[in-house]
Amino acid sequence: MDPPPEQVNYICGDCGMENTLKPGDVIQCRECGYRILYKKRTRRIVQYEAR
Amino acid sequence: MAEVCFQYDDGPVIRERFNFGQFPIMLKSKYCHLRGADPQKLVSCREEPSEMGGYFILNGLERVVRLLILPKRNYPMSMVRNSFSDRREGYTDKAVVIRCERKNQSSVSVKLYYLRNGSARLGFWIQGREYLLPVGVVLKALVDTTDHEIYVSLTCCYSERDEMEKGAVGTQLMGERAKIILDEVRDLSLFTRLQCLEHIGEHFQPVMEGLETKSYSDVADSVLEDYIFVHLDNNYDKFNLLIFMLQKLFSLIDQTSVPDNSDSLQNQEVLLPGHLITIYLKEKLEDWLRKAKKSLQDEINKKSNINNKGSNNKNKSFDFCSLADVKKILDKNPVKQISSSVENLLKTGRLITQTGLDLQQRAGFTVQAERLNFLRFISHFRAVHRGASFAGLRTTTVRKLLPESWGFLCPVHTPDGEPCGLLNHMTSNCRITSFFDSQGNIRDFKKIRKTILSVLIAVGMTPSLPNLVQAGPPEVLSVLLDGRVVGSLPSSMVEKVVGHLRRLKVSANAMIANDLEVGYVPLSLGGAYPGLYLFTSPARFVRPVRNISIPSEESQNIELIGPFEQVFMEIRCPDGGDGGRRNAFPATHEEIHPTGMLSVVANLTPWSDHNQSPRNMYQCQMAKQTMAFSSQAINFRADQKLYHLQTPQSPIVRTSSYTKYGIDEYPSGTNAIVAVLAYTGYDMEDAMILNKSSVERGMCRGQIYQTETIDLTEQSSRSDHSQKIFRRSNVNKSMHSTIDSDGLPYVGQTIQQNQPYYCTYDEVTSTTRPYNRKGSEPVVVDYVALDGKNKEHPRKANIRFRHPRNPVIGDKFSSRHGQKGVCSQLWPDIDMPFSGVTGMRPDLIINPHAFPSRMTIAMLLESVAAKGGSLHGYFVDATPFTIPVKKDNADSKPKTSSLEETDGKTESKPNSLVEELGEMLKERGFNYHGVEVLYSGVYGTELTCEIFIGPVYYQRLRHMVSDKYQVRSTGTIDQVTRQPIKGRKRGGGIRFGEMERDSMLAHGAAYLLHDRLHTCSDYHIADVCTLCGSILATTSIQQQKQIQKPKKFGGLPPARPPKKVICHACQSSKGMETVAMPYVFRYLAAELAAMNIKMTLQLSNAAGA
Repeated sequence: MDPPPEQVNYICGDCGMENTLKPGDVIQCRECGYRILYKKRTRRIVQYEAR
Repeated sequence: MAEVCFQYDDGPVIRERFNFGQFPIMLKSKYCHLRGADPQKLVSCREEPSEMGGYFILNGLERVVRLLILPKRNYPMSMVRNSFSDRREGYTDKAVVIRCERKNQSSVSVKLYYLRNGSARLGFWIQGREYLLPVGVVLKALVDTTDHEIYVSLTCCYSERDEMEKGAVGTQLMGERAKIILDEVRDLSLFTRLQCLEHIGEHFQPVMEGLETKSYSDVADSVLEDYIFVHLDNNYDKFNLLIFMLQKLFSLIDQTSVPDNSDSLQNQEVLLPGHLITIYLKEKLEDWLRKAKKSLQDEINKKSNINNKGSNNKNKSFDFCSLADVKKILDKNPVKQISSSVENLLKTGRLITQTGLDLQQRAGFTVQAERLNFLRFISHFRAVHRGASFAGLRTTTVRKLLPESWGFLCPVHTPDGEPCGLLNHMTSNCRITSFFDSQGNIRDFKKIRKTILSVLIAVGMTPSLPNLVQAGPPEVLSVLLDGRVVGSLPSSMVEKVVGHLRRLKVSANAMIANDLEVGYVPLSLGGAYPGLYLFTSPARFVRPVRNISIPSEESQNIELIGPFEQVFMEIRCPDGGDGGRRNAFPATHEEIHPTGMLSVVANLTPWSDHNQSPRNMYQCQMAKQTMAFSSQAINFRADQKLYHLQTPQSPIVRTSSYTKYGIDEYPSGTNAIVAVLAYTGYDMEDAMILNKSSVERGMCRGQIYQTETIDLTEQSSRSDHSQKIFRRSNVNKSMHSTIDSDGLPYVGQTIQQNQPYYCTYDEVTSTTRPYNRKGSEPVVVDYVALDGKNKEHPRKANIRFRHPRNPVIGDKFSSRHGQKGVCSQLWPDIDMPFSGVTGMRPDLIINPHAFPSRMTIAMLLESVAAKGGSLHGYFVDATPFTIPVKKDNADSKPKTSSLEETDGKTESKPNSLVEELGEMLKERGFNYHGVEVLYSGVYGTELTCEIFIGPVYYQRLRHMVSDKYQVRSTGTIDQVTRQPIKGRKRGGGIRFGEMERDSMLAHGAAYLLHDRLHTCSDYHIADVCTLCGSILATTSIQQQKQIQKPKKFGGLPPARPPKKVICHACQSSKGMETVAMPYVFRYLAAELAAMNIKMTLQLSNAAGA
């Protein structure tokens, strides 16, 4: 019924490692165990016209 | 952690550890992880490379403990206060006050009042009450002494042959007073020391805690120890000090000396963060012990009660001898309270205390260190506040700038307006003596004092201790070391001794602490009370000056002096002339540089000596509200609000302190090409025209970072126990444009007003809820950080938004000379005037009227200098007072300023700054005066005048229209009055007040007035019953049946049936009228009705209506 949970990429605030989290995952870096993760910048087009 | 010691009946001491919680740690203090970190490590820790520490971080906010002015410790100060005479009958307004400080920094003030009958009373506070003791009793209680001894010590400062001589402090009345004091004691029939002690003990037993069972003399001993001259631990020293204070008091009465000014910096020191926390912690620990004692006692009492009843309640048994039981009781006392109360002090700045800690105020001890820009941040650490109790004072005497504060407090850097003169800033040179030495070790003050003492005795001081009687001024001067009378020196010798001490102070093999204050108050006729006062204590102001009386190498003649000694020293200042001292008093010291009298921020104003002084004050204000490069670690910060300048520049014209303090790390402005001309009229009244293309190229661009913290644990705890997580709804696809699949916004996404930006999912009710963005402008998502630190599933997210803030009409700018202005137009580049030679267009146009009345000559100099500097390719030194300094050092080596390098080529030495700068321009073929021929950008014709044009460093101030504009046509209204609400945030209106109404009336603009105050406000049509005159009793009745019937017929819809209104009081709808009125009027009628007052309206058709 629900589409499979999408994954979002995060960057660890300490080591810079890229982490992929599903909804409901524990927020923790897999590499160093740091608990603050930053979202990656979106790949979508943010601005259409450059004036 | 702390240890609590137990001792049972002289048994061995048992030590137990109690956890008192955690203590806030100051950044870069000994226990801080960043202690001693080099810039590289700081950067890797995501800190500022130039992090200085000195503040606390609580709840993510940076809190600084304010420096507060306190009366100087351990110095008896003579005072005249009207409040003293109101104390009790017979008191005069004169007293000698001493604030004694214990080793643990807690202080007790002791006041010595003069009575009209010639005697004196010693006053001190215990638990919020003042207790007054006759001095005679205290004198006798302190030491085993005879009446004759007291008499002689009191009168020793008077001898007949010295009368009216310079420096004489005693008069023949001294003997009389001594007799009165001794008579008083005799009248109380107290003759021996023991009797005096018992007298004191009897009176103080009820207030001294824990001494209920002790003998009277023991109580008295502890009173003397705990409340009288607590900085001394020897009764002989206390006796001597009391005698000294009495002599000072009597000399004040006899007008052989003047009262000390408690507002002058001479008699002040500062409250340091560490000291404040120490005394607060001490009090809290005492509280805890007291409570613990009480609960133990209660428990013992309970036990004895049970025993009396004879019941065998075994589980209640409490054994005082069992340690575990005692510990259990003690643990009942909230142990962690101590750490939380210290934390609260730092968080809120409020002291919660019973005793008051001898401080004048209870709140405002800490402030948030805002990182608006670096200068504002650093100013928080240099600010010295006079105390909140003075803020409400009507008199302005405390705010006055006194000459005593020269070199310690900046005369320029104080805010104008309410806190003017109360909130001062320390000069750039000023330091505060510390409990620690430069290596961070605790200083041994006892040892320091001992060496000073031995030095003094070696040079011929008669120590005071063996015999109590000594002579007084003018033959000999008392020597006080940290409030202890250590001896006396023949007055002829004092000057030599002072010189010797100063020499030892600066000598490299530090026999004597280099921050020793040698306050030599010389003999004078009716001046300050003479003596040699030495201070080694921490928390004093101190600043370096050059000692020129010592012929030694360069490095060894820098002496640290304090405000107390400075008053009596001869310090030469370049640009100060001879200061009136002529040849009679040769200067012994010299200022290092005149800019030492300015604070860090004031030092950054170029050529501030050429400006009118209030302009420099304004600049200090505005430098602290500049949008600048606030932090190097801005990417890792999550401040509530951060201002950031995108394209800062380093100023071409700068003072030497600019490089000294490394302000280039945090630049705060732009070198804008400024033309001073009246162009287009858009530059009137401090408005300024910005070049549109310059702005588009990036001039003064900036943004505001705003962080929002969403804590779902907090949200769910408030409502029912629902578990919330971030998740977006899969059903509602409309949100997907702004919310990512994790329920948080896309990074880099622009969010418009009222768009959803995050979404939560309630696991209990299984509903999703989007949250809409408030605020009026579009924002960009700068970063999204997920915080999983508290392991629970509901989580926390920090979202930082970026508000783009490019210059728009209405934004505020200022030069560094207190010349602020508002952007009035973004003028197209093609229409700007252009230079006939270079073709350059200005970035910014200001009106020439900004100069004549404000006299900011330095701004003109800056313009010329920056022009020259940019033509030659170097930064121009604009340190104030350089010319007089240069003149002073004319013979010695020339200063290596960039200006002079060019002068070296041309042999003729320019003697004024203007000539220097003019030559620079001339060299490169520009006009000597900095003017250029400009052509009109619109017409292409030459402007009739040559225009003064050149680069000036401009700051962008944080006041921006985007944060301030307020518009409303219709909108939210107050529920009760139906009038528009106020407040920008809620879309409210601006009040059209009484004075505005008056002006409308005066213009006769009645329609407009009616429109503003009625139609656009709470216009209301009310039904009034003319029969009873009520507006409250009328109700409309809806006639539903009549409406339904005509539907069947079709055709035109029927006319709206007339509203049927009926008066409940009259039970009829006969005399109904509709009247327009403000809605508040109806509200007034309702309010009055609630008070049982009926309001009756009498309607009539006036002639006009």
